[in-house]
Parts: sequence; C-alpha cells; structure tokens
Amino acid sequence: MRYPFATISTLAWRNLWRNSRRTLIMLAAIAVGVWAMIFMAALMRGMTDQMVRNGLQTLPGEVQVHQRDYRADPSVVNSMAPPSRGLLAALLEPPVTAWAGRVRVPAVISSERGSRSVTLLGVDPAAELILGSLPEKIVAGRALDAPADRGVVIGASLARRLETGLGKRVVLMSQDTDNNVVDRGVRVVGIYHARLQGNEDRFVYAGRAAVQGLLGIGDAISEIAITGDDYRRVQHWYPRIARAAGDEFETLPWTELDPFLGSMLAVQDGFTLVFMVVVFLALSFGLVNTLVMAVFERVREIGLMQALGMRPGLILGQIMLESFYLLGLGLLVGNVLAVATLKPLATGIDISAVAQGMEMMGMGAILYPALHIQDMLMSTAVVIVLGLLASLAPAWRASRLDPVAALTRD
Amino acid sequence: MWKKTALCLLGLCANVALAQEMSATDIIRKAMDHYRGLTSYSEMTMTIHRPDWERSMTMQAWTEGEKRTLVRVVEPKKDAGNGTLSVDGNMWTYTPKINRVIKIPSSMMSQSWMGSDFSNKDVSKDTNIIDQYDHSLLEQYEQDGHQVYVIQSIPHEEAAVVWGKEILWIRDDWVLLEQQFWDQDGALVKTLKALEIAPMGGRNVATLMRMGNQDKPEEWTQLQTSAVEFDLALPANQFTLSNLRNPRE
Repeated sequence: MRYPFATISTLAWRNLWRNSRRTLIMLAAIAVGVWAMIFMAALMRGMTDQMVRNGLQTLPGEVQVHQRDYRADPSVVNSMAPPSRGLLAALLEPPVTAWAGRVRVPAVISSERGSRSVTLLGVDPAAELILGSLPEKIVAGRALDAPADRGVVIGASLARRLETGLGKRVVLMSQDTDNNVVDRGVRVVGIYHARLQGNEDRFVYAGRAAVQGLLGIGDAISEIAITGDDYRRVQHWYPRIARAAGDEFETLPWTELDPFLGSMLAVQDGFTLVFMVVVFLALSFGLVNTLVMAVFERVREIGLMQALGMRPGLILGQIMLESFYLLGLGLLVGNVLAVATLKPLATGIDISAVAQGMEMMGMGAILYPALHIQDMLMSTAVVIVLGLLASLAPAWRASRLDPVAALTRD
Repeated sequence: MWKKTALCLLGLCANVALAQEMSATDIIRKAMDHYRGLTSYSEMTMTIHRPDWERSMTMQAWTEGEKRTLVRVVEPKKDAGNGTLSVDGNMWTYTPKINRVIKIPSSMMSQSWMGSDFSNKDVSKDTNIIDQYDHSLLEQYEQDGHQVYVIQSIPHEEAAVVWGKEILWIRDDWVLLEQQFWDQDGALVKTLKALEIAPMGGRNVATLMRMGNQDKPEEWTQLQTSAVEFDLALPANQFTLSNLRNPRE
C-alpha cells in the first residue's frame, strides 16, 4: 500500500454512505446542533451587545470625570468647574474623539396631572451630538439647538405619564447648592423616543446654560463625558485622562462606572463556550452510538482487513476519519444553516411581547442577533475536538480486535 | 357738543379699561391680604374625603406676610404635634414621634400635603399667584348685594406653575369665592370653592372651603375654619425651626 492514507480515506468515505439513512440522520443531528450553537450564540451576543450599548448610551462617554463625591451623592453640591489647561489639552488630543461637559442633577418635573422624579441633563447639544448621547429619535417637535435653549426635550413615555405634550409648559424643580428649592416653568419643545422605555421616563434634556441658570451654579458642570475609538479598548487610554484631571477629580472608565456592564462582556465568551459544550454533549451520545454500531456491523470485515495485513493504526485512523467526515459535513451544513437563518434576522427580531421583562435587563423591544466569526470558529473547534475525542473509544476498540476471533464471529 | 360727548365717552371707556387692567392685580392682592392679613392665627379642621374613607384633623396655623406659614396638628392624637413650617418657599416638617425636623426636598414639593388634595407647594407658596401671573378682569356682577369680580390669571412663560390658567371669583369684601385651576388644553382640573362665608376675626372669611378634583368628584379636601384672628402680634421666633420642634405654649 503506497498511499495508506488515500486508501483509508476512500474506505472511510464509502463506509459512511453504506448505511446512508443512518448517516443522514446523524448528519442532520449534528447540523441542527451546530446551527443551535451558532444561532443561540448570536442571540446571546446580540443581547449583551445591546445591553452594553444601551448602558453606554445612558452613561454616555466611555470615560467620565466627576468631582470626587459626585458618584456617592449626585447632587448639585458636588459639581465642578469646566475643564481647563491640562485636562482640556488632554481632551483635545486623540484618541479622544469627542467630549462634553454636562449638568446632571435629580429633578422633579410636573404637569397639571402628575409629577415624576427624573434626571435632568443640562447639555450642550452640539458636543453631545458628536458624543452620540442625545436621544436617537425625536418623534415630535425639535431637538435642543443651543446650550442656552430654554425648552426641554422629554421622553414619549414620560409625556404620556404626565399627560402633557409638545408645546405645553411643565415645571422643573430641583435644588440649588444651598438646598433651596429652585423651579421654573419650561416649555416642552421636543419629545424623544428611546430604545428603553425606562430611559424615556428617566431623562429630561435641557440646555446647559439654562439649567446652570436655574441652579445658580455659574458655569459649573456635574460631569465630563469622553468618548474614544473603541469602547472595548478604553483601558489603554483612560489613565492619561486621569493623570491630566488630577487627584481632585475621579476619572473612571465605563467598566468601573457600571461594573455590571463591564463584567458582561467578559462573562459572555465563557457562557457561549459552556453552552456549546452542553449542546455537544447531547450530540455526542448520538455520534458515539452511530460509530459503535458501524464498528459492530463490520467486525468481520475489520478482522479480514487485519488478517490481510492492515495495521491497527490505520483501522483507528479509518474510523476516526469516518467520524471526521461526518462532523465536517454536519458543521458545514450547520454553519450554512445558521448564516442563512441569521441573515434575514439581521434587521432585528421583534420581541415586544416580552419587552417589559427584557427591559429589566436593559434590553429594547427589538433583538439584533450578532453573528461573530469567532463564535462560528469556536463551535467548529468544540465539535471537531470533542467529536474526535468521543469517537476515539469505538475506534480504539475496532483497532484492537483479535483478527481470528473477529473473523469467526457469527 | 355731540363730539365732546363722544370723546368724553371714549375717554371714559379708556379710563375704565385702564382702571380694570390695574385693578385685576389689586383685587387679587387685596383678596390675599384679606385672607392672610399682616399676621394671622387660625384654627381649622381639615377633612380628607375619599370614596372608601374619610379622616379629619384639627390644626392651628400662623402666617406672617406672604412668605411665612406654620401649621401644627392638634388632633387626632396620633398626629398631634406634627408641624409644617414654610419660609420663603422652603418647607420643613416635624414629627414628634421620631423627633426630627425634615426638610421637604424639592422632589416632594408637588406631593400631597398630609395626604390631602393640597400639595406641599400649595401650602408653602399660595401667594405667588400675585406676581407670577398676568391678571385680567373677565367680568363683574352683583350677587347678594356684593360685587363679584371674575379674574383670569395666566401664568408667565417661565413661572413655576403647571396650570394653563386660573380663574378666581372674588367678592368686593375680598373673600375668595372660588378658584379654578385649568390645564393648558382648557379643561378644568381642580376647584377650590368657598362653601360657607361668615364674619370671623373682624372680617368676612370663607369658613368652609373645599378643594375638589374635576375628574374624581368623590375625592375632596375640606377646610373648616373655626376661629381666626388677624393682625396679632407674633413672637419673633414664631417661624423658626426651633419653634417648629419645641412649640411655645
């Protein structure tokens, strides 16, 4: 035998199709398993992505600078002067792509028929626009146009709860630095729609200068939000900002501002792997069973080949190859299936029926599956490695058959 | 002659219009002064009515000028000693059971005061209607031998007022007969109405007032005044936190 490998691969391939029905059933099982792995991984990734992105949007800026005590007590007392000198210079350098100083204080908004606690954001619309932290969609009216804009933009859900609407006056109430009540009537100039209803209820946007005037804090701000290139790489550049800001301020990346979001990404990979292994474990019983049957049916044949001089190693290789072909074909079909089903869903899956529950996890009413190449590679690796490991046992048994006993078996 | 009369009439009309324009604000100011006096002391019973329950409490109230109010609960026993002090738009409450003075944060100013249909804001700021609104006299008619002025008050653009407009009925002895709160769509939301008027403390006062919600006719809060005294001498520390905590007998 000049080309033993070529021979056993031909043998393995043909053996695979001797009982084509069994092979096809097994193939279908593997394909469905692989499809499930990739599909679920894409869904879960879509969920985490969205949670992180939504989270980052309500916490705009991957890096934030605050007065030391602000995070413990986010009141107007703990505001700070706008950035100057060193910090300002650091903010104008790459990789910082945008930054904005904003006032962020608890407030109460009231209409004729209700009042709600909200977070009042005094923003500079131009700067926030680049930062991407303004509401995505204004459904009625207009967006804020300048820091001195004296109108407010509120969420659609908040407008419903307050039974107010575009063009109506509402009253904003908060506290100044001496804890005195400050309030002012403002007109609703715009109504926004957010992906999360909770955010619509929570955030009220107003011009920064107007809010500073209301609170009587001059040009002080509550926080500086900074965004850079990729939110996953924030660890690399935030220390520089922290140094520029100095000890007086607290500079934190989003992974620490919202540890829940931060750990989410790390947990995701491990979770996907565990899920894939579990799916595969269920699959492996079918696979091992198929191979054991294939070997069992061919005991005499294997005995004959051994008697003719085929070495045990080649017999082992042949069974392993058979399993490899099966797994490979299953992977191919499964991957194609996954891509084919995920492509049309890329525009989002409407899960509004369960949206209220999902919102508690920080998700919107539409789920966008995220197909990552690394998930496909990971599922391939899991299936091939574990599949071959599982087929070792029957293959090993086949290669260790005693030729005489095998040939004389009924 | 003809011409002169016409001119005179025109001039007179203009004068009357001007007088009315000026007086709408004055009427409101008079009504507020009348109801609070320079200083005042009153005893009243507040009844909160809901479809399934009703409760009353008796309290004492002191006011000075437009910006200082102190209210203290006398009955029922379990609420006795609860006090509310309001100075310059800020508000504190005191509860003897926990022996603490608590400043009402801005977030709670719109909430109901002691569970009634009045908000904390209503209690602490009831005179800001004078300068935060534009007042105009809608009509004037005679009733039971009194002139009644109907005044429409529209809040200034940036006034901290949620209402679209308020309409007040004020009698010429400066008793507030009715105050209506309208939303910005022109629908009536709340009405404060004087149900009984009687002379007390040397002037005519509304002794029974009811605040009712237009959408829920079964829910209202009633204020029955049993005694009132105006322009009395109050001690200098009447409107202080220490007096809120330790009432002087």
